[in-house]
Amino acid sequence: MDENRPGDPATAADTPVDRRTFLAAGAAAVAAVAGCGHVQPRDPSVRWGMIIDLRRCVGCKACTVACKAENHTPPGVAYNVVMEEETGEYPHVARRFLPRPCMQCAVPSCTQVCPTGATWSRPDGIVAVDYDKCIGCRYCIAACPYGARSFDFGDTYSPDLNPHERRPSPEYGEHRSREKGSSPIGNVRKCTFCLHRLAVGLSPSCAETCIGHAIHFGNFADPDGRCTVHGESLRELLATRGHMRLKEELGNEPSVYYLT
Amino acid sequence: MKNSRRKFLKDAALLGATPMLARAEAPAASEGAGIEYHRNDPDKMIFSVCLGCNTGCPTKLKIEEGTIVKIDGSPYTPWTRVPHVAYATPLAEAARLEGAICPKGQAGMMTVYDPYRLRKVLKRDGPRGSMRWKTIDFHQAVNEIVDGGRLFANLPGEESREVEGLKALRALREPKLADEMSKAVAEIWKSADKKTAVAAFREKFKDHLHLLIDPEHPDFGPKNNQFLWIHGRLKGGRSEFFKRFVQDGLGSANFHGHTTVCQGSLYFAGKAMSEQWTKDGWAGGEKFFWQADQSGAEFIIFVGSSPFEANYPPLRTPNITEGLTSGRLKIAVVDPRFSKTAAKAWKWIPARPGTEGALALGMIRWILENGRHDVRYLSNANKAAAAADGEPTWSNACWLVKEDGTFLRSQDKFVAIHEGRPVSFDPNDVATAAHGDLLFSGEVEGRRVRTSLRLLLDEATRKTVEQWAEICGIAPADIVDLAREFTSHGKKAAADAHRGVSQHTNGFYNCLAWNSLNLLIGNYDWRGGMVKASTYKTTAGAFDFANPDRLKTFGLGLLRERKFEETTLFDGVYPAKRPWFPNATDIYQELLPSAGSAYPYPVKALLLYMGTPGYSLPAGNTQLRVLADLKSLPLFVASDIVIGESSMYADYIIPDLAFYERWEFHGSHPNNIWKVQPVRQPVIAPLTETVTVFGEPMPISLEAFMLAVAERMKLPGFGGELRRPEDFYLRGVANIAVDGTPVAEASDEELALFEKARRHLPPSVFDLAKWKAAAGPHWKRVVTVLNRGGRYEDYEKAFDGALVKNRYGKQINLYCEKVAKTKDSMTGKPLGGVAAWLPISDSLGRPFGMKDGDLHLITHREIFQTKSRTAGNPWLRELQPENSLLVSVRDARRLGLRTGDRVRVVSDSNPEGVWDLPNSGKRPMIGRVQAIQGMRPGVVSFSLGHGHWAYGACDAWIDGSLVPGDPLRGAGVHANAAMATDPHLKDVCLQDLVGGSVSFYDSPVRLVKEP
Repeated sequence: MDENRPGDPATAADTPVDRRTFLAAGAAAVAAVAGCGHVQPRDPSVRWGMIIDLRRCVGCKACTVACKAENHTPPGVAYNVVMEEETGEYPHVARRFLPRPCMQCAVPSCTQVCPTGATWSRPDGIVAVDYDKCIGCRYCIAACPYGARSFDFGDTYSPDLNPHERRPSPEYGEHRSREKGSSPIGNVRKCTFCLHRLAVGLSPSCAETCIGHAIHFGNFADPDGRCTVHGESLRELLATRGHMRLKEELGNEPSVYYLT
Repeated sequence: MKNSRRKFLKDAALLGATPMLARAEAPAASEGAGIEYHRNDPDKMIFSVCLGCNTGCPTKLKIEEGTIVKIDGSPYTPWTRVPHVAYATPLAEAARLEGAICPKGQAGMMTVYDPYRLRKVLKRDGPRGSMRWKTIDFHQAVNEIVDGGRLFANLPGEESREVEGLKALRALREPKLADEMSKAVAEIWKSADKKTAVAAFREKFKDHLHLLIDPEHPDFGPKNNQFLWIHGRLKGGRSEFFKRFVQDGLGSANFHGHTTVCQGSLYFAGKAMSEQWTKDGWAGGEKFFWQADQSGAEFIIFVGSSPFEANYPPLRTPNITEGLTSGRLKIAVVDPRFSKTAAKAWKWIPARPGTEGALALGMIRWILENGRHDVRYLSNANKAAAAADGEPTWSNACWLVKEDGTFLRSQDKFVAIHEGRPVSFDPNDVATAAHGDLLFSGEVEGRRVRTSLRLLLDEATRKTVEQWAEICGIAPADIVDLAREFTSHGKKAAADAHRGVSQHTNGFYNCLAWNSLNLLIGNYDWRGGMVKASTYKTTAGAFDFANPDRLKTFGLGLLRERKFEETTLFDGVYPAKRPWFPNATDIYQELLPSAGSAYPYPVKALLLYMGTPGYSLPAGNTQLRVLADLKSLPLFVASDIVIGESSMYADYIIPDLAFYERWEFHGSHPNNIWKVQPVRQPVIAPLTETVTVFGEPMPISLEAFMLAVAERMKLPGFGGELRRPEDFYLRGVANIAVDGTPVAEASDEELALFEKARRHLPPSVFDLAKWKAAAGPHWKRVVTVLNRGGRYEDYEKAFDGALVKNRYGKQINLYCEKVAKTKDSMTGKPLGGVAAWLPISDSLGRPFGMKDGDLHLITHREIFQTKSRTAGNPWLRELQPENSLLVSVRDARRLGLRTGDRVRVVSDSNPEGVWDLPNSGKRPMIGRVQAIQGMRPGVVSFSLGHGHWAYGACDAWIDGSLVPGDPLRGAGVHANAAMATDPHLKDVCLQDLVGGSVSFYDSPVRLVKEP
């Protein structure tokens, strides 16, 4: 939970660079320019996180689609996907399902490579993307060890946009419509734990629709923190069940725990 | 929120041991204050009901400027939230609470906003199935369909084809005459001398014989019966509206559904087991089934069902996963495929498909021989005995059955042996308890008799446990383990059987066997045992839906749902031309083949609603042939939201409203222990064209079509009080509102929210004054129900100690005497009355099985597709763009196949491996192999919902313009056409002649690698 580490691009410079200026500066300048104004200290009272109970996940993918609907993501972009594997040999077989939202790492790899500071760690621990600053270079996609980021190529589900697709997305509270030539088309997109919902006291859409009640969400900074959807004590969930984080060895300190 | 949380904590304390905890409120984020987000505002949402599948999850539709932007589960219902919030919770509070729904539910708006939706009436402009159409005016279509004539004179070959319209088919119009004829036909069926009875009928009605289909066979009924109605998914409210048109209005006895393509034999096993003894004999059997109460069970065997994927998933899953993680519940899964449910099971038993009944009998044998059955429960012979034990139900396990298959009777009473002496009793006696010995076999008054339970034991001991296991292809220890665990939890264990058990040629007896297992532990109506659905009444209370001017229907239905031997078609010879079904109804697969073979009589017009027999049924290719045949079906009208696989053969397609534009009362499911009634209601402005009927503007829908036909034909029961669909449905909502203790009247605040939430609906749908007028004095209660999308009993009300509150509470037949008194119409053999395992067979009772090298074809469901109607949904397609043919790794190696290989599915009845689409070419059945460990070797499965050839997947020409299809909608394989046709009948799939189910899982196929 070390929010101002030296060398973090988000803290390296405070020169705002808008997208057009940046593009004009040329790709060679990427490494040099790096940075923008999104530097805010960590709020010690809030750290949003998820605890996903793999024994309760039934692999239905409702989370994936709920997210799609809530955030108006285009074809090929899914913030929370469910990975699936079969192991063993007949008749001793196992199947596992693992939902993978953004890990909202305390030590994110993505923010470190972002040349414009468009992707940054919020005080509440959520890693956000400033669409106005994102230049679509996709370094962050390559850097993310979890594959949690995707690029918005501007594809649509129906050629003349069905009524749902025409509606603006509430992401970041910005209410942007997907129109050619403007954000978020051409930007990198990712899970935000539905921070536009958190902002008004509601839980992330994936956790709300989980039919197995596998996705728990809440404030890890609160010692009495409870799941905002199902009410369990977060601390107890972690204390009473075996748990893990993905690619722990990389040191990204994900905010998503899995109960095994 | 705070209040409801406190209230819940209180309720939880009352209940004692609920594992659920209160929900914490999410604190507002430090960043982002000032964010505008209105999706949870109570005036920007309408509660309705999903129809992504039959689960019908109650939903909360969030609306922005008239568009559905997000769908969530309703917090008010047991489908979608555990525990659900109290019904009295104000809307403003509930608006901030979400419920959980599946991916189909989340994606529902993409089905509603499908670019391939129909908006205008289409009329065929080429041969049937050629996908050539013209749009025509709604009223012109209505006039043509009513009046008939040379409707397709512009098409080559049809220049002189006269089509009889509905006016001509409604030959009999006199209610009084219909009533008299109906009674006279019943006399013919009762009579021993049919010839004389028919002659008497002909004499009595000599002036009216021209109204009959065939005066030689008055029991065919009037010509009106030549109008055939077939529906796919149809629930309450719409059901009564459509019956008012088809039965009461047109006077046709042919109103048929699709039950047997789902789990018919499970339903009709439920009917046979729920028949009650009355002064008129066995009566009142309900077409229904029981399911396990997953909220209280300690052990459930899911047999041929996968509640995480296809068996009402949102309603069942949270209680199951809670039970699995808390340690309350253990599950076993019997399924050749390692399903997502099996992935969480204590034990996976990949029994050979079609041997589910054998597995049950092996367990029954072990349980009875080891004395692990509930002797006390089973010994209760009547209601009084059950009541004395605190048992809501009782069985006929100890009743004596004679050699001829009927119960031993002493005058009008039944007989058991108690403490060595015969006792007679009335099953419904509430004063004198009767008990009986369970396994008696011997002579009483010179007659050989055995108890029902003894008959079951004798069936079970036909084989040893080892032999049963061998039939199933599993280890004997598996049977013993299952049986031991099943009998180790008192009444908190349940065997929950579904499609994998019922959709075989032996489905009925398989279902009897699994239900019999439940009887052995007497778990009916107990928490954690087998339970049934309970719903609020829709058809009476505030407004009676009965139609006093109705035309009474009579005569044989096309499906021959009675004893062959009673009818004028029986001449003492078996087999019948086609099977008869005295123990089942809604035998979907037999409808079109019966029309195709004009048995028992020809059909003149078909109206097909939300069904697609060509796509959904096994060997659906045989169904398409009839749909395309002008002689078998001279007039074919379909109601659909797109041009589907079956509606593409229609002469006219009347565009229907999609499920978030219309009304329906969705009802409940057996595992739901709360009394409920979800109300589907219009959420958005309809996409179909607006028309005027009875002077009222309304969107084109099937109701609008029926109202318009009724207006032109002056059908009874339409017009006047019923001019708009809302007139009907709002009265149904009023009935729901007043059932039992009426719901509270809506507050002024909720009345205002109600109106504001509907501000985007056009007057053709939402006209406040007209809605108020329809609901009359019940208006404010109607608003309470509509604001909550239905009526739902409060969480804590469903429990009564160790029992459930909403009970079945009657006799359950271990031995089904009514069935035992019927015969197989093909072989002439009497049917058995007790559970048994029968080998897979064809319609003549000849064994039908696998040859060396064959793979056994089965199907499964992924939660993100529903059989026929979700392939147009791009969000769902993204989760699985195409399905695969799942085979075991061992089979793949043996056949030289690898994952990703393209193979063609061929079979003896479809050696070419194609869908032969009349007038539309051939579509090969080719899919990709996926080799997995989680599949029983010898079995191949594909998930339903892919491989569409219509539904927007192919090109159409409308008014001369090309509407190009989207091939992504047709990706994957739909291998139903490889499923076996019946070797004797040849024009239909294999079927269970007792319970009516189609066989989905008994077909041998081969996979041929494509170059």
